[in-house]
Formats: sequence, C-alpha cells, structure tokens
Amino acid sequence: MRILPVARLFFVSVLLAAAGSSTALAADMIKIGALFPMSGPGSYFGVQDKQGVELALEALNKSGTKFEIQYEDSACSPLPATQAAKRLIDQYKPDVVIGEECSDATLAVMPVLAQAKVPLLNAGSSSIKITEPGNPWTFRIMPNEVMQGMDIATNAYKRLNAKSAVLLYENTNAGIGNAKVFGDTFTKLGGTILADIGFGRDVNDFTSIATRVTGAGKIDVIPTYTLEGQGLKITQALAQAGVTKGGGGGAIQLGTIWLPFGFEQKAGKAAVGYIRIVQFDPTDQRDQVKNFIQAFKTKYSQDPTHLNAHAYDQIMLIADVVKRGAKDAQSIRDGLAATKDFSGVTGSVAFDEHNQNIKMDTIHYMETLPDLSWKALGWN
Amino acid sequence: MSDAYSAAGRARWWGILAAACVIAVLPLVFRDSYWRTNLIVCALNVMLAIGLDFVVGYAGQLNLGQSAFYGIGAYVSTLLIMRLGLPFWPAFVCGVVASALSGMVLSLFAVRLRGHYLAIASLGFAVITYQVLLNWISLTQGPLGIYGIAPPPPVGLPGWQIDFTDLANLFYLVAGFALLSYVLLDQLVRSPIGETLTAIREDEVSAASLGINARLWKVFAFAVGTAVAGGAGCFYAGFVGTLVPDAFFITESFNILAMVIVGGMGTLSGPVFGAILLTVLPEFLRGIGDLRLIVYGLALTLVVLFMPGGIAQALRLARDRLMRASSRQTAGAKP
Repeated sequence: MRILPVARLFFVSVLLAAAGSSTALAADMIKIGALFPMSGPGSYFGVQDKQGVELALEALNKSGTKFEIQYEDSACSPLPATQAAKRLIDQYKPDVVIGEECSDATLAVMPVLAQAKVPLLNAGSSSIKITEPGNPWTFRIMPNEVMQGMDIATNAYKRLNAKSAVLLYENTNAGIGNAKVFGDTFTKLGGTILADIGFGRDVNDFTSIATRVTGAGKIDVIPTYTLEGQGLKITQALAQAGVTKGGGGGAIQLGTIWLPFGFEQKAGKAAVGYIRIVQFDPTDQRDQVKNFIQAFKTKYSQDPTHLNAHAYDQIMLIADVVKRGAKDAQSIRDGLAATKDFSGVTGSVAFDEHNQNIKMDTIHYMETLPDLSWKALGWN
Repeated sequence: MSDAYSAAGRARWWGILAAACVIAVLPLVFRDSYWRTNLIVCALNVMLAIGLDFVVGYAGQLNLGQSAFYGIGAYVSTLLIMRLGLPFWPAFVCGVVASALSGMVLSLFAVRLRGHYLAIASLGFAVITYQVLLNWISLTQGPLGIYGIAPPPPVGLPGWQIDFTDLANLFYLVAGFALLSYVLLDQLVRSPIGETLTAIREDEVSAASLGINARLWKVFAFAVGTAVAGGAGCFYAGFVGTLVPDAFFITESFNILAMVIVGGMGTLSGPVFGAILLTVLPEFLRGIGDLRLIVYGLALTLVVLFMPGGIAQALRLARDRLMRASSRQTAGAKP
C-alpha cells in the first residue's frame, strides 16, 4: 500500500505526538511507596507519618505534577519490611520510597531497594550504619546517632557546664549507639561518666535503677535513650528519688527525638527542667512552619508532631526534586544527591557524599518549663 | 489389611511426589521477587511447624520455645560463618546440631513436667535464649544486629552453577529441605517410633508398663523437632541477610503453634497447610490496608471455632463426605 508523502508526514507526526504525550503523562505522575510500621508496637509512627504525608499530597496535587502513594505495613521489623519493600517494587513500581522508622527495618530494606535502583528517603532511623557506609540509593534527612550524640554531649558540657553524667539507655541498636557516642564525646571534652546503665525493653519498674543513680554521686546531666513508655517511668522514678530538677534535685535529664509530643504532659511535674531535642519546633516563626501548623490543625483538629512534620518534609523534598526536573527513580536519586539548600518545616537539608543530611537545624533543643510548656533554647 | 496399608503408603508417596512437582512449578508461576520471597517464608514456616508438630502433636509435649531453637540455629550458623570463616554447609550442620542439643538439654530438665508446666518451662527457655541473644553483645551483637549475611554459596554442577542469590533457587533449596524433613518425620511417625511416641502422648503410665522409656523418647522427640527448627534458622539468616534478636522473640513461638493448631495437630500434612495459610493470608490481605490484621484475626478465630481439628480434619471430613456421596450414588445406580 502506497501512502502519499503528505499523509505519511501527518501519520508520523500523529505517532510522534502520541508518543510525546504519553511520555509527558508518565512524567506527570510520580509514584511514591511508603514503608511505615502500621501494626505492632511501632504503629504510632505509621499513623502519624501517614497524616503528614496526606497533608503534603493534598497540597501538592492541587496543581502541577501529580503524586500518588501506596502504603505498606513494614512492622518495624526486618522480614516484614523486606516483604513489604518487595511487594512495592514488584507490584506498585514506585519512583521513590519513603520510610521506615526503625533502624533494623531500614537496614534490611536498603539492599532490596538499591538492587531495584529505587531511591529510599528515610527520616526516622538514626543508626549510623544507614549512611556509613550506606549505599548510593539511601538518603536520610535526620541527623544520625553520632551527629545527635555529639551535639547533645557538646551542648551539655559547654552550655549547661555539665561535668558529670549518668547514661540511661534501652538495650537496642539505637539506644546503645546513642549512649556510646554521648559517653565518648563527653569524656573527650573532659566530663565524667558516673554510671552506664542499659536495660531491656521489658523492664517496667525503674525504682531500683533510680536508687542506683542516686548513689552515683553529684550528677549534672542524665542522657536518657528510651521510647515513651519506659521514658515516662524513668522520668517519674528519677523525680521521686529527688535526683532530677522535676523532683527538686539538681540533675538535668536530657532526652532524644524518640519521645513523642505530649510526653511532658503525661510525665507531669517530674518533667520540669527536662531538656530534649525534637525534630520539629512548633514555636518556629518561619512562615512555612506557621502555614504547616495551620493546615494541619484545619485538617486533623490537632497540633502536629515531629513525626507528622518529618513525613511532610519527606514528600515536600521529593516534590522539590521533581520541580528541579526529576521524573523517574534514577533522576530522583540524582536530584536528591544534588540537594544542597532545601528548606522544610523541620529544618534544612543538604546531603553529603554518604547521602546524610549535614544540617543540624533539623534538631531543636526544648526545655520543659514549670507549666509543662516548652522553651526553645535556640542552640542550633 | 496389608493391602489397605500398602495402598495408603502408595497414596502417601504419590502425595509427596505431587508436593515435589508443586515445589518445582511454583517459582515458574510466581515470577516476581515479592511472591518468591513469600514462597521462601512459607517453606521456612513449614519446617518450623512440622518440627513443632512432631513434639507437640505426636509426643504430646507442649513446647512453647520453638522460636528459641529457630534463633539458635540462625545465630550459631551465622557466627560460625562470619567470625570463624566456616563455609556455609558445615556451619549449617553445626546450627542444626546446636539446636538439637539445646532441645535435648531443655527436655532433660523438662522431662519430669507435663502439660502447662512443660509449656511454662519451654517458654522460660525461649525467654532466656532471647535475653542471651539480646544481651551477650560481644558475641551476638545483641540489638546492634548482624547485617550483610550472605545467602548459601553457589553449588557447582558440571556445566551449571546454582546461584542462591536467585530467589527461585533459594526457594528450591529451602523447600527441598522442608520436603526432606517432612519425609523423614513422616517415616518416623509411621514407624514403631511413631507408635511409641503416640503411646506416651496418650498415656505415659500405660506406656511405661509396656517397657517404654518415656524420658528417652521425649528427649528424642525434642532433639528431632528442634533440629528441624534449627535448620530453618540457618536458612533464615542467609535469606533475610539481617539477624536481630527480635526476630526470635517469644511471640514467634505462638505464631508457629498457631500454624500447627490451625493446620491440625498430630497430622504432619495439617501443619504444612497451616504454615502456608498463615504466611500467605496476611500477604493476600495487604490490599485492604488497615483492616488487614482484623480480618486475619477473624479468619483465625473462625477456623478454630468451626474446624477444631484444623484444616487437615476439615479436608478429611470433606473427603469422607464425598466418598460417601459417591458410594451412595453408585449403590443407587445399581439395578
């Protein structure tokens, strides 16, 4: 069959246009996979992460590039996380994956995603191993355990003039790692570790540990690395023993970003004087933070937490990379690696050669006042 | 009578052959890495469930410490490989032997106990093992975990190398061991040893009056059942690539027991179905999001309520009904 040259030209043009439009359509939809713990003891992470993600997507999808998300329950554990990651890769085929919160689970899914050449953007896992040595496909926007531990120890020594400390930590990957970094840094600066006390997650009564702390001597600071449940019991036991400021003592308890918002209200007066780092400062006066808080309150009728905020930032960072021209897994990875000046509600992001965010303004120091409200110390 | 026995024996071997064919075909049907991963988890859980069923269902010893033996196999083999540089297969054998020896040690202490008391003793063993894995950091890395564990090394055949980084090959390996374990346990339970264990389960005093040394056979049952769990642990480490004590927490023992109960205790085929169902069902239900675990829990409750003898009993009842219906039909068709 012969086709006239003009008709042939028209036919080819139509085909090219169709091909072009399908490419444009594909680039207009970014598929995000989310690995969040939505069952088990870590499910509170997943619920709050999801709220932050939904808020960000709602704002982004009103105009421009569309973002689509699929959540998978990774259960804060290596095997379920691996299964969930493989399901995402095989069935959903995401351009980028966000999550997990627990270091063990994150470390387990990293090789799976690297093999599939899909970037993983992590916000909540603090283990140093995630980025040291890490892999080219994994990025973390939160300071790692070493950065956090060194920063807390330095501020304790230099700003609080602390010379002695007692380390309290749960026997987990993150607990041991964080406590060790604090201890090493504090000792190097000239401080003394009076006691190094690790405990299992099954410990419920901290009276004996508080008694042991009482007998350790004059304590300036007590860095404490636990999740909320044990954290509350420790804070109350230390106050009851008259060790910490909340119980009329002189020691300042130092806490981590693991504790959720509302911890002080649950701990009551025992938390007075508690200084801890949070990943999101609700007293931050930047417009984007005020807008985020307002939008969050409007949608959920509650105040946002750091988990809401860091999940929100994960999506916004992906949107920023897409705005810079990324349209698939490889270009999103490259865009993330090139990120040097992203400003989110938790702070700013600039990745080093290991894909670790080097900006320390993503952690904020808060002191608990007698009315249990926070005073931002502005140390970072 | 002997004809019936040999017919049943033939049917069993045909069943095993059919299972081997199903194993061979499955990775060809499920080609993506997600479902192949689930297939491997199924095979691991089958090993754990049939090992436990041998102790609980046949010897009548309520063992709630299966997660500990699973963990011992995983840690012993991994530490031997990563710390001493032992090749995988000798480390595998050591892992299996270590689990079996641990099972024997537990049974030596627990042999005087029965029922709830034995359950609590075995649970205590699981708790102790978990605490050792968690707190002996200089040896096990505790909660810091062991990462980057390699899968079993490739097996070289003339002109062909089987690489176990390929999930299909790894599934063939693990499922092959699961099938081998099944055949061995099946042979045991159908031998005089199986009858001895059943006698102890039904009435230990009567068994003793027949000259059966119940203690010895209980130790034997524990050794065999925990060895199979240890084997599963050795494969688990190389498959997931990550080892943390939480993977062997006591709740894992209850999951394995649930597989045995849902499948049908005291029948080797039942726990196979139970393990597959309880592994695959939560994955099938992922599509319904947050409702997943509610539906899963409801399904388990319904199975236990309406099939107290487990899936194996339900299948047997269905088969009997079909046979009765077909024989009635044949009788009605006769002139």
